[in-house]
Amino acid sequence: MVSEATAIGAVLLLMLVTIATRVGGVWIMSYVAITPRIEAFLKYMATSVLIAIVAPATLNASARIWVAVAAAVIVMVATRSALGAMLVGTALAALGRAFGI
Amino acid sequence: MAGDAADLGRSGRPRFTANGVWRGAVEIAPIAAFIIPFGIAFGVAASAKGVPAEISLLMSVAIYAGASQFAALDLWYAPLPLATLALTVLAVNARHILLGAVLAPWLLQVPIVRRLAALVLLSDANFAQAMAARERGEMDAGILFGSGLAMWVTWIVGTSAGVLAGSLLGDLSRFGFDAVMVTYFAAIIVGQWKGVLDLFPWIGAAAVAVIGAHVLPAGWHIIAGALTGGVIGAWRHGE
Repeated sequence: MVSEATAIGAVLLLMLVTIATRVGGVWIMSYVAITPRIEAFLKYMATSVLIAIVAPATLNASARIWVAVAAAVIVMVATRSALGAMLVGTALAALGRAFGI
Repeated sequence: MAGDAADLGRSGRPRFTANGVWRGAVEIAPIAAFIIPFGIAFGVAASAKGVPAEISLLMSVAIYAGASQFAALDLWYAPLPLATLALTVLAVNARHILLGAVLAPWLLQVPIVRRLAALVLLSDANFAQAMAARERGEMDAGILFGSGLAMWVTWIVGTSAGVLAGSLLGDLSRFGFDAVMVTYFAAIIVGQWKGVLDLFPWIGAAAVAVIGAHVLPAGWHIIAGALTGGVIGAWRHGE
């Protein structure tokens, strides 16, 4: 169990980190220019962190999650709708559960 | 006269007015409606993780950045890995730094308290809207705060609905809600695909994360994967 006080403290810490990213760009730009290399690093890091969460979480999960993720990818490629991809993937995961996969 | 007021905002010097705040909120309303389902998804996913309702709600109020909140859920266990949580949220939200950098020439001409107000609720959606407005000659940075405020309230309302649904429905894997986060992230990743040049950094991030999940302390595979993808991307595209 995570205690209430620890949880609140952690959320406030994450709030400060996020606010720092929101005001940080303007603050940094008042001192230096963001080079194309730094820009590429930040852009690729933002996508890579999601990949770093999804890849192991999916591989280590059951087959119904593999199906859900594969379906979400296909729906996203076909429709460009993140909401649609999430709904189809979640529905398939529920179906998989119902059939005991 | 709304028309006159709008014209007023689209000429002269960069500024930040109450009128701009109002127009920002009204203009983003149709887009803000679309984040309600994501707020619900977050509330439900947090319930599925066993996060208490008031903490889920506090996350949406205080952090207000969807993808990073989902990522934090993945690391939400006792004892809370604070350093890993902070670095992961930093990595997911690092793109805000770029959005701010793009807005800098405009916002640096606005007084500092109002500049901070415009930035503190910055998100991808209200950034995109503000840049489109800027193209049309908008000078009033108040629209950023107004649109941010509208999105923030909508996100909190969506989360509340999701938390409520989660607490009423019981075992959520029955409904497939344990798949919400991975499918949502998979969709965002696919949406970021710009071409075959992305392959190298992405595979690097995935490989390091998968291996790291077995050999690194809990949660650090996320940081390692994120840095790998960032470094390969900067190396190959930073010319």
